[in-house]
Order: sequence, then C-alpha cells, then structure tokens
Amino acid sequence: MSTHTTAPTGGTAAGVPGGIPGGTLGLAGGALLLGVLPFLAGNAYLEHLLVLWMLYALLALSLNIIIGYLGELSFGHAAFVGVGAYTSAILSTQLGLPPLIGLPLAGIVAALFGLVIGYAALRVVGPQFAILTLGFGSILYTVTNHWVDLTRGPMGISNIPPLSLGPITFAEARETYYLVLALVLIVAFLCHALVNSRTGRAFIAVRENAPLAASLGVNVFHTKLLGFVVATAIAGVGGAIYAHYIKVITPDIMGVHNVAALIIVVVVGGRGTIAGPILGALVYIGLLESLRVAGPLRMVVFAALLTGTVVFLPGGLVSLWSRWRGPRHAEGGAK
Amino acid sequence: MDVTVFAQQIANGLVNGMAYVLIATGLTLVFGVLRIVNFAHGEFYMLGAYLTYFAGTLLGLDYITAALLGAVVVAALGVAANKLIFWPLRRDHEFTILLSSLGLALLIANSGELLFGADPKYVESPFADEVLDIGTVTLTQQRVLVFGAAVAVLVAVYLFIRYSRFGKMMRATAQNPDGAALTGINIGLVHSYTFALACGLAALSGALVGPTVMIFPTIGNWAVLKGFIVVIMGGLGSVTGALFAGLLLGVIESLGGGYISLGFMEAIGYAMIIAVLLWRPNGLFSTARGLR
Amino acid sequence: MSTAMNAEILSVSGLTRVFGGLTAVRDVDLSVRAGEVVGLIGPNGAGKTTLFNMLGGSLPPSAGRIRFDGADCTGLPSHAMGQRGVSRTFQITSVFPSLSTLDNVRSAAYRTTKAGWGAAVFRTAAYRNEEADLHRRAMENLAFCDLDHRADVLADALSYGEQRRLEIAIALAAQPRLLLLDEPAAGMNPEEGQRLVEMIRRIRARGVTVLLVEHHMRVVAAVCDRLFVLDHGVKIAEGPPSQVLNDPEVIRVYLGRETVDA
Repeated sequence: MSTHTTAPTGGTAAGVPGGIPGGTLGLAGGALLLGVLPFLAGNAYLEHLLVLWMLYALLALSLNIIIGYLGELSFGHAAFVGVGAYTSAILSTQLGLPPLIGLPLAGIVAALFGLVIGYAALRVVGPQFAILTLGFGSILYTVTNHWVDLTRGPMGISNIPPLSLGPITFAEARETYYLVLALVLIVAFLCHALVNSRTGRAFIAVRENAPLAASLGVNVFHTKLLGFVVATAIAGVGGAIYAHYIKVITPDIMGVHNVAALIIVVVVGGRGTIAGPILGALVYIGLLESLRVAGPLRMVVFAALLTGTVVFLPGGLVSLWSRWRGPRHAEGGAK
Repeated sequence: MDVTVFAQQIANGLVNGMAYVLIATGLTLVFGVLRIVNFAHGEFYMLGAYLTYFAGTLLGLDYITAALLGAVVVAALGVAANKLIFWPLRRDHEFTILLSSLGLALLIANSGELLFGADPKYVESPFADEVLDIGTVTLTQQRVLVFGAAVAVLVAVYLFIRYSRFGKMMRATAQNPDGAALTGINIGLVHSYTFALACGLAALSGALVGPTVMIFPTIGNWAVLKGFIVVIMGGLGSVTGALFAGLLLGVIESLGGGYISLGFMEAIGYAMIIAVLLWRPNGLFSTARGLR
Repeated sequence: MSTAMNAEILSVSGLTRVFGGLTAVRDVDLSVRAGEVVGLIGPNGAGKTTLFNMLGGSLPPSAGRIRFDGADCTGLPSHAMGQRGVSRTFQITSVFPSLSTLDNVRSAAYRTTKAGWGAAVFRTAAYRNEEADLHRRAMENLAFCDLDHRADVLADALSYGEQRRLEIAIALAAQPRLLLLDEPAAGMNPEEGQRLVEMIRRIRARGVTVLLVEHHMRVVAAVCDRLFVLDHGVKIAEGPPSQVLNDPEVIRVYLGRETVDA
C-alpha cells in the first residue's frame, strides 16, 4: 500500500459542487429569516436594497451555472439580462401586453439568444470562449444603443408598468422582494436538484475534465449548450423583473460594469455552490450602498476584492465556512 | 461608387488597422510566449495616452519625447503587474489568471478615473492639425505618423524576436516553457521582458492614437476589445496573423462605417470574428504552439 | 450481453491516420473477440496511442473502417463510442481532480443512468431508486479497485498509484463492453504492476473485453491472450505472447531501440 499522499491543493478549479451547508433545519431557518427580513428592515430604502440583493442573487445563480458548474467564463451574461429586460419592457410599453405574459416571454427570447450565441461560442473553450461572449455581449449592447426605433437608444425606455398577478401589483419593494425571493428559492432548488442528477454530474464532469467526460459518453457540446441556455433564460427573467421594478432601463444594463458585477458576485461568493452567489450578492449590494460616498473608488474596491478572492480564497467566501468547520473535509477519511 | 471616397476609406481603414495591429501584437506576444490572456492590456494603452498627455501638459515635454517617456514608464508598470500578479500565478488554472487580469483591468481603469477625472482630454501633437495630401487621399500628419511609426516599430519587434538573443529565448519559451527552463533560460526574465515589450507597445499605440481622438479613462476597454478581435481572428499567439487581421478589421470597419452605418461599425468587428471562428475555430493563422 | 463469448466484438480493417505528411498508422487490420485480453505493443512512436485515439473516437481515421459489436463506428465522436460501450483510460493520468473519489465514480456512470434533471426536481421513485443503486454500485466499484477506504478523499490528493486505479474504476463505472487501457502500468513499481495484472484478470472475469497498450512486458505476457505488434504504424506480428515475443522480427524491432524486458 502506498503511503505517499499528495497535499490537497487549494482547489484551482471550482470548489466542491452542490452541497448546501447545514441540514434541512438550517435551510428552513434560513428561508424563514429571508421571509421576515422586510419586516425587520423597517424602511423603504432597506427594502429596496433587499430587492436588489435578491435580483443579483437570481442573476448570479444563473451565471453560476456557466461559471461554477460548466467551468466556462462568460463575459456576456449581462447582455442576456438586457435582452430579457428590453423584451418585457417593449412588449408592455409598446404592445400593451400584460407584464405577466412578458415575463416568460423575456425568458424565452433570452434563451433563444442564448441558444444561437451558445451554439457559435461553445465551439471554443477557455479564454477564447470568454472573449467571444464579450464580443457577442458588445454586439447586443451596440445594437441596443443604435436601434433607436425599437429601443429608444441611449435614452432608454421609461414608464415601464409594474408586474401584476391578479389583484396583486408588484409596484412596491416589499411585494417585489417576495416575488424575487420565491424565484431565488426555486432556482436554488433547481440547482440543487441539478447537481444531484445525472445531468448535473455531466456538467461537473465536463468542467473537471472534458475529454474524460466525453469518453464516458457525455456529449460535451450539448451539455454545455443546455447549461448555457438555461442560464440565459433565468437571466432574461431576472432582467424583466428588474425592468418592471426600476421602471426605467437603458443600454447600460448590458454594459461592462454589469458584466463585471455579476462575475464579482459569483466569484467572491463562491462559484460552484448555491449559497455562494446569494452571499456574494449580499456583499456586493451591501458594499455598493455603504461605499456610495466613495464614488469611483467603489469599483477599485470591487476590483481588489475580485483579484484578492481569486488569489487567496479560490473557493470564495463560502469556503471560509468549510474551513472553519474543520480541515478533516479536505483530507477526509484516510485510514 | 466614387473612387476618391473609396480610396480615402481604404487609407483611413489602413491607419486604424495599423493601430489595432500595434495593440494586438502585445496581446498576442503575451499569449504566445506566456500563455496568459491579459484583459488588462487595454489599460496599458489608456495609461500610455494619459502619460503622454500629462508629460506634455505638466512637464512641458514635446510630443515625441512625451510619447517615448510614456511608453517606457508603462513598460515598467507592465513589469510590476507581472511581478505582482501574473508571475506568482503562473502555475495556476487559466481561470484564475483570466479572472485576476479582469480584476487588474477594473483596478487600473477605475483608479484612472479617480486620478485623471472622467472628462475627456486631448493629447496635444504638432502633427494633429497639419494635413498631408497623397494623391487623392487626404490624411493628417498625425495619422500618417501612426501608420509610419507602427510599421517601423513592428519591423523592429520582428527583427528583435527573430535575431536577438532575447528574442530566441522568447521563442524557445513559447514552444516549450519547461524545456526552455531546462536549457538554462531564465523564465522569470522572459516573463518580465515580454510584459515590458507588450505593455510598451500598448502604451505607444495609445500615445500615437491619442491625438487623433478624445481620451478618457475607459478607452482601455475599447482597446482591449479591438485587440482581442484581431488576436482571435489572426489566431492566438500569431504575430503574422495579427498583422493581417488588424489591417483587415480596420479596412472593413472603415468601409462598413462609410457605406452602411457609422453606428453599427462597432458591431462589424464582432460579426467578422464570429464568421471567422465558425469557419476556423482557432483563427486564420493558427497552427501548432509557438510564436509566428 | 448481446455478443456471445468468442464472437468478434471489435474489427478494424485498413485503418490509417496521416498527420500532415507523416503516416502514424498505416493500413492496420485487427480483430478482438469478446472476453479476450489483447495487448498492443511496439516501440515508442509506433502509432499505438494514435490507434487508440481512433478506436476511442477522439481522432477521426484518414482511411479504413472500425466495426464495434457488429455496427460500423468509423469516425464516430468520442462520446458516441463511450455510449456504445467503449471506455478508455489515458496515457497521462486523467481523473476529475476536485471531486471526491466516490463522486469521480458516480459521475462516470453517465451511460448506465437515466434519471435526469427533471426526475431529480420531482424526486420520482425511479430517481430515488437509481441514486441508491448508483451509490451501491460506486462503492462496489471502488472496493473492486481497492479504493473504498479512500472514497471521501479528493482525487487530487490521491497517490499516483491510487489515481491510476481510480482511472480504471472510472472506466468500469460506465459498464463498458470494451475497455481500452493506455499504458496502465506506466510509472508503477513491480509490486503495483502485479496488482494491476490481478485486477485486469478480475476485469476479464466480469466479462469485459480488454485491449491494452503496454510497455511492461511482464504485465503483457502475464495477462494477454494475444498480442499485436506495431512498428512505424504498421502491424508486423500477431499471435499468442509466447510466439510473438520470440518472433525474430519483433525482437529485432525492440532490440534496435530498447530491451524487451523494460
């Protein structure tokens, strides 16, 4: 028996996938806490921040499917958020369609864009894929900015009606919070089911070692395309809710700042986990607001946070939890 | 189609294209030799333009001296960025390197906004307002300088890589870093020199293009996107590919902007890159690993 | 099993692969019967790995045909060969590095599982049964490769020998009909090599046909029913080990470059 053991690396790829820390009890407690948060917040401003937190959590969970599970870096995710936002905004302001119909349509249109763009971009991997998605995102941004007849160009679309569901209108922060919270919990559960299924294990196998996954019968291209399309669909729905909540959208929603923000949320929180993107969104929105006085210095802080996390804490903030729980998990069960 | 207008569009396109080539050469060198995709490359372009501006306004240097000083300082900054970030991460996953270069790009761009202010600036150059007529084509002297200087610099870079002792070390490292290290090549030195060269080239293109446009702290974004389009079209790591792809992009953008729509000009480059990648996933000039 | 023992499971005819101007594999015919352990040997650069990559689908042949289990599989991509029941290991250790040993094997069972994302969302009975079954099979598989005590360790943290056994466990998790092993004994000491020999015998006892590329002649002679010898991309000999390893032509090819008992 060989006694030689290689020291566990800090995890150069993503962290351990799937596992939600804590048991069912902890989960129920967390959900309950999220449920009463608006009552603890007490004022409209904090409630507004809670909505932003949940919106970013939703978008980050979708991006995490690509970054965390498929192991590809997409620099175009904000463009799909924008496609969803514009789809629903245009449908409701120009065609007068009820936003409730616009919402799923936003997801479908974003997914169609995701299908076409993913079909082209997923032929390459790694840095080339990242650059290509940046390129596609920039095309969508440019077209949105210049197709004034449809999108009103740089002026953006304003007076977007709020979402409504029968008698409930999601005009205020509190109602919107519960709507997005419900979506976040649903998407979190979908991700949990994903990584515990054959489909999700194929995602992670592709991330870890694509040639080996292929030799085991996984169609790498189709697997990546599936993940990409699902992620873009969720991004589209998130963008639509954002548009109906904020009531004004401009092409900036697709801009480089938003691209960077989503990547920062996923990476700082912890890619390849479910709690990570939700936690990352909290940190991002919290810092964004508390550093509002600092102006442009904010982005310097975020950039430093991103680089620092990548270098010193590759598993993101959630990996602090498993470190604290004890190192036995890293070395594990050796007799 | 008016021949005069057409020739003018081609000339404009070649000048823009040459600037793209200059940006892309550094990007493709860093990838070809060190296997690093540097998202912060455009920020060194931005710094080059700003340092030229400040060397002119604050130190009162003439344009040429200011541009050269800017390039040297930025080359030193490139070496510093390498020492702080890329060299320590050289054994890490490409994901880590990609993300930290994104972090570096955000860091420099936003620090630039803090230090330089968000309002646009004009780089003063004695050549900016002087016009030169070449046949039916009219160009400012500055744009002729962009083209001429870029050609001269690229020839020098080519000769340097091809014949200097250091250029040979770079090529050996590009082909096989471990093998190169075994034959006694100082890989750390190759890293530093490659970054100095690449960032210096980016700064020089910023200093050259600066007087023809307004500069603001976010131009690095624009520069790195153009650089990436050229590098991917030409094939990552291919200097020859970058030359052809850069000129092609410049000319097609210019013709597209002139005959179709100025607004969508930006999108043309991406449409090209996508067409190229669908046809040849590794770029027009890609072959095996190494510097070409 | 649809193929009876001793029926031909793999047949290759006229297989050729050209890289640029270089012919790495030239006009190779070979056939493997179900239940056999067949060795593919030859000096370095003989084209063995190129041949393997064509059989595994990661490299399309320039000419020739590959039939597996009675169906033409020429030019099929890697995942299609995997789905048909051809599993392989790689010359350079290839596992899922940041997953636990157990998750490595669970992820590898893609071909033999059915319940997808939707089933997991609704936690159907089929899904729950399959997950339980998957766990049981994965643990059995690890026990088979003597890795069950390392189930919770990250693959990255395993020793070299353990990683090589994990590769075989991964390949077996797909319940292959044909297992392609690319230099499984590379870097192993004699004791580990002996364990490998026993493992291959047990794999065969489970009804899996094995084709292996190997340099260690002790391993090859101990475990193979038949050998094929490649030199410069051409098949120069085939037959039982006792005959092939005494073939003057084979000895000449090997002595020219390296000793047979490497």
